[in-house]
Amino acid sequence: MQKSTVWQRMTKRTEFYIFLVLILMVIVIQLVSGGQLFEPNQVVTILRAMVVDGLFALGCLMVMVSGGFDMSFPAIAALSYSLATTICLNAGWCTTNAWMGFLLSVVFGAILGMLNGVIIANFALNTMLVTLGTQTFFTGLSMGLFELKEITSTLPKGLRAFGEWSLFEVESSAGLKSSMSGLFLILIAVAIIVSLILNKTMFGRALYAIGGNEVSAERAGYNVKKTKFILYTIVGALAGFTGMIRVCMARQSIPKAMVNKEMTIIPAVILGGASIYGGEGTVFGTMCAISLITVVTNSMLLVGIDTYWQKFFNGLIILIGITISSLQAKRNTR
Amino acid sequence: MSEYLLQMKGIDKSFSGVHALDHVDFAVRPGRVMCLAGENGCGKSTLVKIISGVYTRDEGEVYFEDKLIEHITPAEATRLGIQVIYQDLSIFPNLTVMENLAINSEITANRKLVNKKRWEETAKEALSKIGYDIDLYAKMGTLSVADKQLVAICRALLFNAKLIIMDEPTTALTKKEVDALFRTVRQLKESGIAIMFIGHKIEEIFEISDDVCVMRNGKNVFLGETRGLERKDLIYYMTGREINDDFFVPKNISEKPVLEVDKLSLKNHFDDISFKLHKGEILGITGLLGSGRTELALSLFGLEHPHSGKIIMNGREVKIKSPQQAQSLKIGYVPEDRLTEGLCLAQPIADNIELSSLKRLSKGGLIKKETIYRDAQIWVDKFKIKTDDARKNANTLSGGNQQKIVLSKWLATDLEVLVLNGPTVGVDIGAKQDIHALVHELANEGLAVIIISDDLAEVVVNCSRVLVMKAGRIVGEMEGKDITEENIREIIM
Repeated sequence: MQKSTVWQRMTKRTEFYIFLVLILMVIVIQLVSGGQLFEPNQVVTILRAMVVDGLFALGCLMVMVSGGFDMSFPAIAALSYSLATTICLNAGWCTTNAWMGFLLSVVFGAILGMLNGVIIANFALNTMLVTLGTQTFFTGLSMGLFELKEITSTLPKGLRAFGEWSLFEVESSAGLKSSMSGLFLILIAVAIIVSLILNKTMFGRALYAIGGNEVSAERAGYNVKKTKFILYTIVGALAGFTGMIRVCMARQSIPKAMVNKEMTIIPAVILGGASIYGGEGTVFGTMCAISLITVVTNSMLLVGIDTYWQKFFNGLIILIGITISSLQAKRNTR
Repeated sequence: MSEYLLQMKGIDKSFSGVHALDHVDFAVRPGRVMCLAGENGCGKSTLVKIISGVYTRDEGEVYFEDKLIEHITPAEATRLGIQVIYQDLSIFPNLTVMENLAINSEITANRKLVNKKRWEETAKEALSKIGYDIDLYAKMGTLSVADKQLVAICRALLFNAKLIIMDEPTTALTKKEVDALFRTVRQLKESGIAIMFIGHKIEEIFEISDDVCVMRNGKNVFLGETRGLERKDLIYYMTGREINDDFFVPKNISEKPVLEVDKLSLKNHFDDISFKLHKGEILGITGLLGSGRTELALSLFGLEHPHSGKIIMNGREVKIKSPQQAQSLKIGYVPEDRLTEGLCLAQPIADNIELSSLKRLSKGGLIKKETIYRDAQIWVDKFKIKTDDARKNANTLSGGNQQKIVLSKWLATDLEVLVLNGPTVGVDIGAKQDIHALVHELANEGLAVIIISDDLAEVVVNCSRVLVMKAGRIVGEMEGKDITEENIREIIM
């Protein structure tokens, strides 16, 4: 029996091609824009723009690996950070640091995620439909029950300061100054943690196993219900955390700011090699896809394309990603 | 110590009123292959699930290595050394061979972290148990069914299995792969492992088993050695009726052929195929997998497009480009894989039967439900399809009955030529007999039938003429008494 080499295995993966496309796009934009893409301030802006989408995508990735869809993470994020910032504001917390805001948002996110987990694990329902339901439910809670309002100029100083965390300043050739956001380090850290969870823990392998064949996973001895419950709780907590990052970066807490976020993040994760049927997907691929989309949308002006076209290109990338995913699934079932 | 590894006495099990197992006695000896046979729904899977701990028995005693086992759970069954290889093999198509091999032991050992090196060692150990070599990093989904099965067997062996239960392992295998599987089974048997083989294929039971247990309607009607058992007795035990192979004798073959195929070729599949088909005859086309038999059948139904040659219907040359065209020429096709190609499982039985006849039953483009059910009922009665209501969905039926629906779908249209590709694959012997009898009747009513099959027994019983294909060419033709399994086997290889 012939053994496959590392190279053969690598070239079979979607991630590899997304990576190639990313490199190609970077080169093309760099050439067309006359070298503006690698201006220090441009690089810094793109890295900063990746943080929130990247964090959301990592949560989505874990759910998709297990064969599910989470449509509710933007609603979880919005409700969690809105509640957290409102509480901090009223209690007078987060004046010097941000940790209380994050703690609250993460706890709220985890609780909301648990609700997803309980329903999905116990009633074996379609995850997309369940999370569509909870999405509306959470949004309703935010507007109706808690009557959460926008917080803009009154945002606690601690949160504001955390969003402005700067590693270093860069200067472009035209003399424009920008700062490298420290929050990018958080994205890298979370990406590493998610990658370790997926690849180095039995919990992570359980997600792949369940995504590949749920019945087999059960027979092999995994507690599928418990695994799903934990998964949705973790993903909820991550959504709450990411929402708070977004609040700090935008220096405002707007309950409606996350609407429809899932419609761009989920396709990006699919583009990065996650299968819509579950069982496939890597952190590397997801990060490549997020980089690709961020680079393309942020560079449109550089290459002289109107921003109206942004959605057109986003849509195009999504279609390509979904086509690749389906084709690959077909090939694997043969 | 008794001679038995597993002994079960007076096992009884009911599900909400249905008596699934009626005081069944059962025993397996180490180093033997025990075949658990019976038609669908006879209770064999319930018995297996009691052994593997999925179900709890209502009554009866289970002894494993002479110890009374009060309560069997799946974990307890694994600890005792009982491993079940399910029909779907319980594999993870998205994971590598290595992970598939090692994951169960890792979970059982209650590990929390992944150690690639340990996984690899476990996987290698598993493969070494039967001396099987395969790329550990290949994705499971890309393997052939036979390879997947061997991986599943290796995985079972990691748990120091003393009893391996295989649920219909040969269903999706070619003859060659079945032979390879049987070699592995014999190898395991020699090392003292008991194998329980669940199936209903008569030939395989005789080939591989040392002992047989036959079940019917929740009771075991036979338990004993295979040696000395007569084929016709075994069939009687399984079906509860005498089944005689009624050889097909054509009664009225038309003078002129209804279908002629002249020098038909399809690149990479078949070459220079010519034959004539008359009304009232059943023509068998047989050959090994890859001989071009299926592609030839598909060409007659417009699903493959030959690049040269002629097809002549009733003396007129025709081009068959699509199934719709084939249908309008009165050619019907029953696919091998009825589940994916022939049926809408989640639709009512009646709708499935009338799927190809909607035009005939409609008035001004509109269709009345009542008309469909009335017409469908005729076929349900004629084919003895086991259902109390044709409005129920097709997936409520057993495999044999599903195959009958696919057949009646075509017969509900007015046909001249019917192509049957593997008409009884995966069908139990009773339903098989019904289907064969029906095809004979149809041929004698004037239908021209082509049976494509590699089940030689089926070809011999049903066909008045046989073409043997090999590597895309016709290498032999037989008629009447010359059609025997030996004669075909001689030229087929």
